[in-house]
Amino acid sequence: MKYDVVIIGGGMTGLISSIYLSSKGLKTAVVSKGDPVCSISSGCIDVAGDFQGIPDDHPYTMAGREKVRSALMYFKEIMKDAGLPYWGEVFENRSIYTPIAKKRETCLVPFSMKNADGAKGKSLHIISFQGMKDFFPGYFKEDTSDFNCSLFDAGTLTTVGIATKFDDPAFREQFILWLKECRIQEEFIGIPAVLGTKNPQKLIDQIELVTGCKVFEIPTLPPSMPGLRLFRKLKSYSSLQGVDFFWGHGISEITEEENLVTSLIIDQPGRPTIIEGRSFILTTGSFVSGGLFAEKESIRETVFNLPVSIPPGKPRLNDSFFDTEQPLGRAGIRVSSHYQPVDSPWKNIFVAGSILENSQIMKYHCGHGLAIVTGLDAAENCEEYLK
Amino acid sequence: MRKSYEHCIRCTICVENCPVFKVNPQYPGPKQAGPDAMRFRIEGEKKVDSWISLCTQCRRCEQVCPHDVKPATLILQAQMEYVKYNGAKPTQIIFSNFHFISHLASFFAPVANFATSLTIVKKMMKLVGLRDDIPFPRFSFRTMQRNKVKPEQGKRKAVFFHGCYLNGNAPDTGRNIVRLMQDLGVEVLVPPQVCCGLPALGNGNEKKAKSFAQKNAEIFASKVEQGYDIIYACTSCGHTLIHSYPELAGEKGKMIAENSWNIYEYIEKLINEKQLVLKLKEVKKVVSYHVPCHLKGSGKPYPALGLFHSIPGIELHVMDDNCCGFSGSYGFKKKNRETTERLGKIAVKAHLESNPDVIISDCGACRMQIENYTDVRVCDPIEILKESLE
Repeated sequence: MKYDVVIIGGGMTGLISSIYLSSKGLKTAVVSKGDPVCSISSGCIDVAGDFQGIPDDHPYTMAGREKVRSALMYFKEIMKDAGLPYWGEVFENRSIYTPIAKKRETCLVPFSMKNADGAKGKSLHIISFQGMKDFFPGYFKEDTSDFNCSLFDAGTLTTVGIATKFDDPAFREQFILWLKECRIQEEFIGIPAVLGTKNPQKLIDQIELVTGCKVFEIPTLPPSMPGLRLFRKLKSYSSLQGVDFFWGHGISEITEEENLVTSLIIDQPGRPTIIEGRSFILTTGSFVSGGLFAEKESIRETVFNLPVSIPPGKPRLNDSFFDTEQPLGRAGIRVSSHYQPVDSPWKNIFVAGSILENSQIMKYHCGHGLAIVTGLDAAENCEEYLK
Repeated sequence: MRKSYEHCIRCTICVENCPVFKVNPQYPGPKQAGPDAMRFRIEGEKKVDSWISLCTQCRRCEQVCPHDVKPATLILQAQMEYVKYNGAKPTQIIFSNFHFISHLASFFAPVANFATSLTIVKKMMKLVGLRDDIPFPRFSFRTMQRNKVKPEQGKRKAVFFHGCYLNGNAPDTGRNIVRLMQDLGVEVLVPPQVCCGLPALGNGNEKKAKSFAQKNAEIFASKVEQGYDIIYACTSCGHTLIHSYPELAGEKGKMIAENSWNIYEYIEKLINEKQLVLKLKEVKKVVSYHVPCHLKGSGKPYPALGLFHSIPGIELHVMDDNCCGFSGSYGFKKKNRETTERLGKIAVKAHLESNPDVIISDCGACRMQIENYTDVRVCDPIEILKESLE
């Protein structure tokens, strides 16, 4: 199987790259060991905790402010086209609730969470489900002028189970009937994000119509439906554009010719699969996703064994996990302005996403934003290279 | 080497993708049933996790796990351990031996089909734990083995692994596959063979599965040595040949795994090797493709897609997010009725959204299940390809 571009990593970065490149008529494949963090995320796009505080060595600075803006607009266009539109301004943060009721800042949100931003200090009614795991309406009492909650008996306890029930029109009708009986007086209604495994907008409109309240979904702990909706939409969008997926197995070997990588061999039962490519984009993520692997004395990049840039000095891990910066979080692949790894023997490899050096997605609250921006930018550079 | 379950980081990605977990609150999902529970399973201790049989072995969890944990494999081990310590249920004995039942029933096909439609027989089936609300698959006397397609010389040589369903229940489809491959210049042999062993595995009988696998490995490995490729159409049989045979049948099993081809993958290979040029005629139809879980689990792009996308006039919808819920013998068991029904309805509803003229699926059990909930024509993909080649 021969491709113009082979993307390694099926997360946000890889999928955005694949959508862009296939839309340019390039034959594209995505190889992924499994489903990405995106599918259990809150489904919100964190671009940056603070837009002023991005240091000079961060991949955002390399991309430039204009690129950040255009990449996020590109994402919004794709999602609108895919039928799961996102809301928000590119350089403005808005607040959403977390499942423990603490508010947090994010940038782009699915339409189902749009109303959360205005709820602070207003009267709030939480609707939850009897026995639902890890979701406690009482947490939301703070910060409201008036608080109430109601519990619906969905007959099942988990986010996946309840969301699956909401996919059924008869269940939705039953829920709406019950809701009418509740006679909710508060201005806002917050519901855990289980209103269906697909875009819940129609149901939210219906709830707003029968209650007269402003409704928003609250992200849950994983399994998280907004993340699953986002991932599935991106993947199917990519697939409809003709991208081929090799999903479920890692890469065991690469073959090279002079200064080019020519193919990947997938390690799977039976015959190994050989995928030939003219160019490759590495988007395998950092430590959690398995793109980087920490050994006792060194850090290894797991696919091409590219040189990993490690911050100098010790310690690499601080004792206090959340309060202070973790130097180890800066580790990653150093790239040129064309997203090509420096000190690599090959010239047809590009790198994007949180595997990039200094990306520190936890510190700068920029996980999905960084994925979209560098994913698109690297893809454009790859397209240029193929010309 | 650490055990695979110790790689689990509890991310719940497998749980998000488990069809049974979606609809059955009694099932804790692959994370708890697999890696979590493994820590509590002590060798030699009586097993008490009867709920473990709620897993359908669709293997979606294994495809999505980003950390190489194999939840379904761990669960399968636990299912077999449970049977080992607690004995097999009548339904498990029946389906482990489905190969023999299929042979017997097809030999007495008219009688067997008549019998399974009788109220009294249905009542008896219910008594042993089978469902009486869906039709038992009809058996055909003219099995693929009993009524073989006349062999033809060809440039390439292949042996066909038909599996139980194509042989005993849908032999006409099986013969259409053989004829089509012959028309494409492939010499197809259909040697006598036994069940692939998957139903035995799924019903807790590893010994039986091994004996089936070793027998098949013996037959097919000798053909591979003579220069034949192995081709299959049933995606669950194929998944077993490739994923389980190296373990069940040793070196010969490995040979089977490395030389087995899905028929569409094989056609694609012939095209790529310039041994074949296909002239596809227009098929003006809306086709919804139900991708069986065990095809999804191959980890590769679906081989039939390349061919089907090049058929002029076709509007193809690829549906791979929903398990049909039947999972072979699983769906015939009374205790699984609700799970199977719910999943079946969800899957069929998704198909009907595109208003298809026909729903296609490589898997006989998926087709049976889909037929239970719609009047839209359901068939093997080969029927559409045949139409396009005529």
